[in-house]
Amino acid sequence: MNLEVRGLSFSFGEKRVLKDVALGIRDGEFIGLMGPNGSGKTTLLRCLMRYLPADGSRILIGRRTLDSFTASELARVFAVVPQASATDFTFNAREIVTMGRIPHISSRLAGMGRRDADAVKAAMKQTNTWQFATRQFSELSGGERQRVIIARAIAQEPRILLLDEPTVYLDINGQIEIMDLIRRLNSERGITTVAVLHDVNLAARYCDRIALLSEGALEAVGTPKEVLTPENVQSVYDVAVVVRKDPFTGGVYVMPHATPSSARKRGIRVHVLCGGGTGGPVMKALTDRGFGVSAGVLNVLDSDFESAKDLHVEIVEEAPFSPVSDDSHARNLTLAMQSRWVVVSPFPVGPGNLKNLEVATTALKSGKTVYLLLPEVGKEIDFVGGKADVLVDDLKRSGAITVAGINDLTRRLAEGSEP
Amino acid sequence: MQAADDLEERYERVMGRRFLLLTILPFALFGSAIVAMLVGTIGPIGPGDPQRISYHDAFAAIFGTGDVPSYLNQIFWQVRIPRIILAGLVGAALACAGTAMQAVFRNPMADPFIVGVSTGASLGAVAAGLAGIASIAIIGSMVTPALAFSTALITVFVVYRLGVVRGRVYVDTLLLSGVAIAAFLGAVVSFMIYFTQQEYHRIIFWLLGSLSLASWPAVAVLVLAVSVGTVTVFLYSRELNALLLGEETAHNLGTDPEALKTRMLLMAAVMTAAAVAFTGVIGFIGLIIPHMLRLVVGADHRVLVPAATMSGAVFLIWADTLARTAIAPTELPVGIITAMCGGPFFLYLLRRSKAGGDRR
Repeated sequence: MNLEVRGLSFSFGEKRVLKDVALGIRDGEFIGLMGPNGSGKTTLLRCLMRYLPADGSRILIGRRTLDSFTASELARVFAVVPQASATDFTFNAREIVTMGRIPHISSRLAGMGRRDADAVKAAMKQTNTWQFATRQFSELSGGERQRVIIARAIAQEPRILLLDEPTVYLDINGQIEIMDLIRRLNSERGITTVAVLHDVNLAARYCDRIALLSEGALEAVGTPKEVLTPENVQSVYDVAVVVRKDPFTGGVYVMPHATPSSARKRGIRVHVLCGGGTGGPVMKALTDRGFGVSAGVLNVLDSDFESAKDLHVEIVEEAPFSPVSDDSHARNLTLAMQSRWVVVSPFPVGPGNLKNLEVATTALKSGKTVYLLLPEVGKEIDFVGGKADVLVDDLKRSGAITVAGINDLTRRLAEGSEP
Repeated sequence: MQAADDLEERYERVMGRRFLLLTILPFALFGSAIVAMLVGTIGPIGPGDPQRISYHDAFAAIFGTGDVPSYLNQIFWQVRIPRIILAGLVGAALACAGTAMQAVFRNPMADPFIVGVSTGASLGAVAAGLAGIASIAIIGSMVTPALAFSTALITVFVVYRLGVVRGRVYVDTLLLSGVAIAAFLGAVVSFMIYFTQQEYHRIIFWLLGSLSLASWPAVAVLVLAVSVGTVTVFLYSRELNALLLGEETAHNLGTDPEALKTRMLLMAAVMTAAAVAFTGVIGFIGLIIPHMLRLVVGADHRVLVPAATMSGAVFLIWADTLARTAIAPTELPVGIITAMCGGPFFLYLLRRSKAGGDRR
């Protein structure tokens, strides 16, 4: 069932919590409501289910306005899964799920019918809770308890499922379990699903669309890719992030970034020779400490290439999976020669990027200071039949400074940059 | 598939046990009333007393057949039978009110007196005695109960008003207002008792609860209160279940939590006030009985409400029988018996549920 919010505002006393929110939710879609604490997500959810007295004429369910529904009609449209449900009372799991049938039982005197019992059983089977039907609700683990609550919501046979941070008190295993379950119910039963979610990456992974709220106003709506841009996240959550492609799902993946300590710019550039993911931490550490950084030669799609781009580092780039061309090599050498120092990260050396190591040799010979980060013990970097090892040994002999790790490197560079 | 059928079977067994208890309880109630009727200083069963009468004479007196002295007939029909019926009704009222209160407060430690019914009623009763309008111990007088009933309901209303903010019943505020009002009124009652030394014994008797003032009019009032109260609470038992999962969930299941809380508070208050008005403050039943029954039949109010109501009746019938025979011919306030049985038993349950940990 589709749901439409037409310019909804809501206030708690003087405080405006929702400001003119307009949002269309399509039939069968899984939409995530996101935003910082106090942005009005839960309030919006509670207005939808009429738990808060919002202007019902501004909310459309199917073709009817919210205020035209009776309480029990509404209970057959919406089912709600709150953050956590605890009770000091001795209900067993099946009794909890059975409560989902209350809106379907016509009279206070009537008992449960065959259809009610079937709905309860089906809901419990589908949520994998049937095996602890007779167990006490309070004995169950957090994840099991939440599954029982979802089973209760499903037994209600709703058209729209509303969830308020359903995984907030669960460990990572429980989070995935519950989100998988909700996604499965959404597609198998075609229940329109609206979930308030806190975890950006869970939302990116499971939602068809995301609605981003900020201070009660709708900031952005769209697919996770459209909404979870570094700019949107920065402006709404006030935190710097990088957005990457999730290697397994092809969706987006958001990583928070330690906000750069407003290091004074030193006006010194360091050239980093890297690749294969070895350069990311080096470049990050250097930029954090106020050094200018350049890097080369990096293939597009290499993770160091992505890191360098996120750090706004000057890059000598090469087409994906291509060997370093003469042109790129020349530019790499130029950048290295113009920098104050050259840092060699322990990148895996193959025939395609052997030239990067040669840049270090050339720079060293013409008087540049070269810092050599050693690979972890036992980690092979030579994939060119010993040529790389020869070059590295050569570098060491010719006066390249070997450093034990990134901290050692940055300390030395910081000392070296003092006047 | 086999495993699933086992589960189904086990579930049916658990449920079967619950309904078995529900079918046994009415017989237990009826049986208890009959036996209690025969126990007493004058009766076929009782502590070693020279005045034993035969079963034959007892039944003859009860049914008005045969030639037994008319005073026997009087004792049964004017004293003992109304007293036993009143005990059953008061026990039912307190247990049912306790069940409803625990659900409304979502707290298994709540009891029917939590919103100030008992102190409110005490104030009315003591004031009546003091003002000389009615001596508390006058059997058949409706003045004291009427006053106690009114002050109890007024107190509950004040507490309720204090717990309502902008149309919402906040149970935490309600609870604290109840405690505060009860403490204040308790002080007023103590102050009044302090200045009425000759009434002291009677007032204490009333404050500890006793069924010795039982009368047919009292039974009539209780029948009305208990039937309206228990039936209403039972009809809302599904909503009470939903309320225990939180007000948001209750709302989502189509109930109006505010109306439900108000209605349940009203029913519990009327039943409790009616009980207290005639018998004084009989403690522990409203706390212990729902708690105990929940351990046996679970928290589903569809079963719990009738089971607790009937168990409360059975329990008070026996407690009162003990109260009037334990140190016969002197009578004990029944509140002493219920507290003496209830306190240790409650501690036992508490320790057991703590020791059981996850087995609750």
